[in-house]
Amino acid sequence: MPQARPERRYVPIPLWRRARRILLLAAVACLIPTGISYVSAMTEKHNVGLGVSSVEWLRQHGGNALVSQIENWYYTLNAPEKGGPPLRSLPQVGLTSAPGSGESASKPAYRPPRVTPIIHPALPGEGVWKPAAKGAGPQPPVLLTTFRSDPEYPQFVAGVAWIDSTRTHLSYVPGLAEPPPPLSHRGPSEVPGPLRKRVVATFNGGFPLETSNAGLIYRGRVKEAMVNGIGTVVEYRDGRVDIVRWHRGPQAPPNVWFAKQNLPPIIYEDRLNPNLSDGPEWGETVNNAVRVWRSGLGIDRRGNLIYAAANNQTVESLAKIMQRAGAVRALELDINEDWTSFISYRRPGAVSPGNLLPEMFRPAERYLTPDERDFFAVYLRAGKRW
Amino acid sequence: MVSLPRDISPGTAARRSLLADLLIAIALALLAFQLAAGIGVVGFLALLTILALVLWIVVEAATRKGFQSRRARRTGGQKRPSASSSPS
Repeated sequence: MPQARPERRYVPIPLWRRARRILLLAAVACLIPTGISYVSAMTEKHNVGLGVSSVEWLRQHGGNALVSQIENWYYTLNAPEKGGPPLRSLPQVGLTSAPGSGESASKPAYRPPRVTPIIHPALPGEGVWKPAAKGAGPQPPVLLTTFRSDPEYPQFVAGVAWIDSTRTHLSYVPGLAEPPPPLSHRGPSEVPGPLRKRVVATFNGGFPLETSNAGLIYRGRVKEAMVNGIGTVVEYRDGRVDIVRWHRGPQAPPNVWFAKQNLPPIIYEDRLNPNLSDGPEWGETVNNAVRVWRSGLGIDRRGNLIYAAANNQTVESLAKIMQRAGAVRALELDINEDWTSFISYRRPGAVSPGNLLPEMFRPAERYLTPDERDFFAVYLRAGKRW
Repeated sequence: MVSLPRDISPGTAARRSLLADLLIAIALALLAFQLAAGIGVVGFLALLTILALVLWIVVEAATRKGFQSRRARRTGGQKRPSASSSPS
């Protein structure tokens, strides 16, 4: 008589293993739509590395607080130590002006006063304004200088640019990805070819709209609702530029051509914002007290623009740099080494571009190719000679 | 009334168990997308979860293998001949 085959039975897997399997399957299921979004974003046109693009993608897809927290930890762990050997020289910025070239100076041209050095003895050229371009004449449109910004950190050097508003015109240029679509008249996201003969400087914009919780008016239309109380770079339809604390509601006033908001003003009516040390006011960004590359844009008493940038700055130390450079109203622009850029062009035609500070991470040709983020371009006004 | 067959093969039972787990996993994934601030956060956490679980599985397998080989050495290196081993 044939022997009966032993019955094969299904042995259920332990509960914890089943839970692990479910978790693994759920994670894989989560990665499918995420992966599709990520890959399609990464295959778009970029001028930054994969790492930076990945972080930006994460920020734009709900991960801003997460990224900011990780950045806060990183920068806190890598905070610079106070003291250290003093510097012997400053990075060379700007050019020695050639007298007699350019426009004839029938009346003496205004030049901002030298930035008073903080650390003594001052280093050669510290705080002394120099023209950014060659042959700029007696009234250069852009002046540059550097100075040591903090006696407790004698190796920190701030770069500052002064922009003559009577000779120049500020333009807001949208980037490839910032402000996010839809946006009509986005443009080439670089200094447009026909305008290159008049470009004298370009510099970074503010935080992405998603992280700044602020507004934007572009070409007279609201892209993102304006927020009262936020620091705003405004260009009016008559070409005048100002930095204001916005109080005109969410819509675009008829006389405004562009208005870019970024956090509360750091200087207003010649006074530092008293809340520079409070974290929450500065939004979902790297903590205000964390030392990173920071940049800011201000305006002096005569309506000329002042841009400043430096590594290892807090919001407060940046505000102090801007105040020392002569700004009476100012706001913080973008931060971190990947986004902070001030580039001046030494010759007409966007020839011979140079970063404000040699340690600026992005190349000086950054805005001569399409860039991810929005930026500002400074052009000589029509009729003004180089 | 239609009822599921009671006597099912072990393979079918395993497949059914896997299907049930898969459905639960999809429900969990949908819940995660609903609750999270964005797909970036979900993807980031999912990636970390996968890395951690794969690491766990690999370490577990390696530990089990090491334990089995130690036991085999203790018992005098006598291994059960596998079906694929050929006689020398």
